[in-house]
Amino acid sequence: MSQQVLWEVVKGNNAFLVKRNGLTLSTDPFNNTGVQTYSSTGFISKNAVGVVPTSGKVNQINNINLVAKKSTKFQQVDRKAKNTQSVYASTLAVKHGVHTASRVIRKRFGTSRVGLQKAALRKLVKLNRANAVRRRNELAAAKAQKK
Amino acid sequence: MTSVPLVSVFSADDSSKVTAKHIPLPAVFQTPIRPDIVSFVHTNIAKNRRQAHAVNPQAGMQHSAESWGTGRAVARIPRVSGSGTHRSGQAAFGNQCRKGRMSLPIKVWRRWHRRVNIKQKRHAAATAVAATGIVPLVLARGHRISQVPQIPLVVEDKIESYEKTTDALNFLKRFGAFEDVQKVVSTKVVRAGISKQRGKKYRVRKGPLVVYFNENAKLLKAFRNVPGVEVVNVTRLNLLQLAPGGQLGRFVIWTQSAFAHLDKLFGTYRYTSIIKDGYQLLRPLITNPDLARIINSNQVQEKVQPAKTTKVLHEVQKKNPLKNSKAMDRLNPYAKKQRAAAVAAIKANTKGTKKIKKNKALKKASRAAYNKVAASLNDATKAAVQEEQDIKVKYFSVQKGAAQTE
Repeated sequence: MSQQVLWEVVKGNNAFLVKRNGLTLSTDPFNNTGVQTYSSTGFISKNAVGVVPTSGKVNQINNINLVAKKSTKFQQVDRKAKNTQSVYASTLAVKHGVHTASRVIRKRFGTSRVGLQKAALRKLVKLNRANAVRRRNELAAAKAQKK
Repeated sequence: MTSVPLVSVFSADDSSKVTAKHIPLPAVFQTPIRPDIVSFVHTNIAKNRRQAHAVNPQAGMQHSAESWGTGRAVARIPRVSGSGTHRSGQAAFGNQCRKGRMSLPIKVWRRWHRRVNIKQKRHAAATAVAATGIVPLVLARGHRISQVPQIPLVVEDKIESYEKTTDALNFLKRFGAFEDVQKVVSTKVVRAGISKQRGKKYRVRKGPLVVYFNENAKLLKAFRNVPGVEVVNVTRLNLLQLAPGGQLGRFVIWTQSAFAHLDKLFGTYRYTSIIKDGYQLLRPLITNPDLARIINSNQVQEKVQPAKTTKVLHEVQKKNPLKNSKAMDRLNPYAKKQRAAAVAAIKANTKGTKKIKKNKALKKASRAAYNKVAASLNDATKAAVQEEQDIKVKYFSVQKGAAQTE
């Protein structure tokens, strides 16, 4: 379905829309900027990558999932696929470091949609940093408890 | 659409098993999405379930109140006749008065229901059905479909024979629809407002809609008690259920026979509907709404003129070339070399001159002379001081001598 048509339906009201303090924000997992705009609203586009934080244990290196939007042409889940699949997205847990994740993002977008690409990468970096801090704190707390 | 999209029918017992691999999508699902039609039809059809109500026609008017007229230092509003009670003499009848009747009291013959043109209603229903097959729209409506194997979800007719709620629940769990049911359960809230005293205590979200075909199906009872789930027969598809609140994209679970019946119900683009007599599905205004693709297509790009680049005539703030070397370089590229040459020339000119080395001997001699002068000054001061001392001593001794002699 064309992104333009879907946008006309969805822009006024959708489940991810949050209007607060004069701001129009979005909780769409495929939206890396947080603001609801036509280009950043990933769930209506054909290809989008969402960088999503997940709750996880301390031992997990990165509590980040990459959620890649699937084309909605044939909306069926591929059970043979390696990554966690759903009708609209395939999820990749960022386990092998931020660099591999950023390569996934770059490959997805190629030379097009630089703005979206940058937004995804930016979010990836920020989440990674926040995660590192969190992990450091948790480990320190665990150490202190042990003592 | 050159290629017809295909859909699989899933086995009721096992969500990984597919009983019919590729069934063509009924033409309804290709109907253009028309939120404007749906919105219009929905707002009107939603009024049709209203029950007539009215205010008691005599409310506030059961007095023999009369205005006291002018000259009594009171407002001219009708006042309650009689005496012996607080009520007498109080204002009555007006909408502004306490205990008065409301302005424009509601009558039972208010126009509660709206009729909508049949064609519009059918177009709306068709669009709503189409929207149930578009994943982003179902997501936008807020359904939790991350575990659902396929949209549109078509299941074999076996579920129509479910009698027990446990069967229904297990079926929903198997097909990832339970997440949506859980959402319904967890977001059940006590309604704000008076309605909670009028029988509408809770606000409950909408979950999946199960659509069946065979009239003898027992699944209505099985799904009845599952919160959020609605069950409806294909022949009686309701816009208020397909697009609740006028919002397209309900999560629908079709049975195989119901799904197959859609072509007969709504017709195709080749044949008009059999059941909706003479109804032809809405045709899109633009067959290819993908603007980005149109713009980037070869056909368009060939004809299009090259993109205009913005010409910058001058910078926003004027820089003085006589003071700003970079600005000067922009005007006269040779200026940089000139400046470098000037610097080099200065360096070259000053190359021969030696640095003045201080002569050590000269330094010593001058120091000695200085010391001499300083010493003589010192002696002079010393001598002066001594002289003063002598005078003092002489003076005092003379005095002493004088004292002594006396």
